[in-house]
Amino acid sequence: MLENGSDESVVRWGDNGDSFVVLENEKFTKHILPKHFKHSNFASFVRQLNKYDFHKVRHNNEENGQSPYGAGAWEFKHPDFKANNKDALDNIRRKAPAPRKPAATVEDVNFSSQQLDLMNSQLVATQTQLQQLQDRYNELTIHHSMMIQEVIGMQKTIVNHEHVMQSVMQFLHNLDAQRRRDSRMGHPFGGQAQNGNVDAQNAQVTPEDDVPASPLQHAAKLLSETNADVMLNPRNLEHMNEITMRMNGTLTTPPPEFLRARPASRTGGPGSAGSSASVRMGDLDNLVYPVGQTQGIDPMYSEHINNIPYALPSKPNEPIVPDARKKSAHVDPGWIRPPQILLVEDDPTCRRIGGKFLYAFHCSIDSALDGLEAVNKMNAGSKYDLILMDIIMPNLDGVSACHLIRQFDNTPIIAMTSNIRSDDIAMYFQHGMNDVLPKPFTKEGLLLILDKHLAHLKKPVADGMGAPQPLAAARQVLKEEDSPAKSPATASNWNSPNNMPGVSPVGTNMTEEQYIQAVQASQAGHPNAYAMNHMQANMQYGTSPQMQLQARQQQQAAHAAQAAQAAQAAQAAQAQAAQAAQVAGHRRQASDISGGDDMNNAAKRQQMYGAPQLQPQGMNPMQRPR
Amino acid sequence: MEVPGAEDRIDQATFEQILEMDDSVDDRDFSKSIVYDFFTQADSTFDKMDSSLDAKDLKTLSELGHFLKGSSATLGLTKVQHSCEKIQHYGHKKDEAGSADITEEEALEKLKSEIAQVKKEFGDVQKVLKKFYKDES
Repeated sequence: MLENGSDESVVRWGDNGDSFVVLENEKFTKHILPKHFKHSNFASFVRQLNKYDFHKVRHNNEENGQSPYGAGAWEFKHPDFKANNKDALDNIRRKAPAPRKPAATVEDVNFSSQQLDLMNSQLVATQTQLQQLQDRYNELTIHHSMMIQEVIGMQKTIVNHEHVMQSVMQFLHNLDAQRRRDSRMGHPFGGQAQNGNVDAQNAQVTPEDDVPASPLQHAAKLLSETNADVMLNPRNLEHMNEITMRMNGTLTTPPPEFLRARPASRTGGPGSAGSSASVRMGDLDNLVYPVGQTQGIDPMYSEHINNIPYALPSKPNEPIVPDARKKSAHVDPGWIRPPQILLVEDDPTCRRIGGKFLYAFHCSIDSALDGLEAVNKMNAGSKYDLILMDIIMPNLDGVSACHLIRQFDNTPIIAMTSNIRSDDIAMYFQHGMNDVLPKPFTKEGLLLILDKHLAHLKKPVADGMGAPQPLAAARQVLKEEDSPAKSPATASNWNSPNNMPGVSPVGTNMTEEQYIQAVQASQAGHPNAYAMNHMQANMQYGTSPQMQLQARQQQQAAHAAQAAQAAQAAQAAQAQAAQAAQVAGHRRQASDISGGDDMNNAAKRQQMYGAPQLQPQGMNPMQRPR
Repeated sequence: MEVPGAEDRIDQATFEQILEMDDSVDDRDFSKSIVYDFFTQADSTFDKMDSSLDAKDLKTLSELGHFLKGSSATLGLTKVQHSCEKIQHYGHKKDEAGSADITEEEALEKLKSEIAQVKKEFGDVQKVLKKFYKDES
């Protein structure tokens, strides 16, 4: 455009031919710029020039400080921008944006504003990233605490299993003693001089009577070696869990089984769990096993069921409270944990009766005297599963309180009122209430509301196989453990297969699998510990359904095959043989428990316990490097 | 569990479920304390009703009626409950069914007689209940 002389009055070469001059800023902007650029903005043009390393020529040294081309003229210079020297134009390039020249002049304000935009957008992007990271972190935190819960649950299940095994051992010991006594009794000399001739009798007792004792002792020894209470140190996890809870301010109400477990147990690892076990052992010791073909427990006679030294699975939910003489009033709806209920009621009579009903339904109750107190409680971060809200109250009525609570919380709120005209009810719902409990409320009405709105806290229906919530099932087991009058291990595992919440649901298979793998991984560096843990895993599977067993054994067979390649052939064969024995052992376990009088099984039981011990020897070389 | 002499003063089913909350038939501490607390509550409410009536404070009278209605209903004290409901309506300047409007003078007139009525109903049922709990313990 400088070559074109028509615009000379507006823009032309400088006097020396090494610069160009914009003489009339306004005309240049309006008429010439649009011809060459997509804009008509002089500032943009200047900015562009700056980018290409053109610089405004200053005339400070002139006497009057005025440009020789006039007051409004802008002169721009570039070392390579010369009249009649087009070759040098190639050297005029856009500056690299990174090294900003310190000599940023007034014009650079425009330039830096662009930079600022860039910075801003980068900042926003960074913030978004940060936000995403934060979200991810929160998510992971939640997952982490869930995992810890899960693992703690698994550990407790394992401990329970351990206790079952110990109970079974005790039972078998008794049987063993019984058997030997019987055989002595049947012996020609036995009946007369039982005490005097003990030694002689023992000498005469055939070796096959002595044999059963040693596998039992062997198994007992193994059990004591692999005490889950010692192996799995739950304190670390619970500590971790506690920290997580504390850090996660939103979870102000720790899961109740955690609360319950904390003060009661684990202070001494094996000691505490062992103490509960020993109590049970003591109970078992005190039990009398009547002599007879069926050991006093004949499944054909229902009255004999009382002779079974274990809690009956048929009534797992009935609370055993010594002074609850009138049980009919205390209905247990079967919560997995006591629901937290906030009772908002100004009338002391209603409050006390409502509270009493809720107590009878095994709910944990907090009360507020009016809407204001309720809102304050909610605002302070208290978490409830359900809020029962009176409507007409002093200070703040129930509808307003509900409206306020709904601004920040979604806990179900039930209106408790005698005003149950349809327009009233419509208003309650409009303000965020979830249901209406007409006053004067009845126990049935209250229970119905609880059932309806707290269904997620109900124990899964105890038809076993289909139980959909492994975690809930585990909690159920834990809850039962806390009932002092029952043996926890038996409650969870002595049951018929239909009532095995901890083991039977298909859903738990995955978690058990994962857990075992985790154990394997964590113990990989410690062959000894690994061997014991692995054995526990196997024992745990001893109570699992057949389907799962098969799958597991196939998997183990695969492991054994690997071992065969790596280790010596003899060792592998040993492992496989042990496995075969294990299958037999597992299959017979059920009949062992129910029948109980077949001493021949003892030998097989030895195999069963022996198997896991042998296996790791064959497998460790392969598994450790993994 | 029948409350002797209660007749239509007490709704048996409602009262029964409170009695059920007692530890045993020999130990009625829970229901007894509830009922006796209600006596105290009713007495103080009646006092407030009297002073509100003197002050012609219809709104407070309605609220007091509602308050006592709730607790008497929870205990199943039917007659007291119904009287209280009327007081609640009269306080709103409605007739006893709560549908038609009445004047303030009418309301005060009706309130005066209804408060006397509710005190009588309460006295009757109080006697019955006191007797019941004395017999029990």
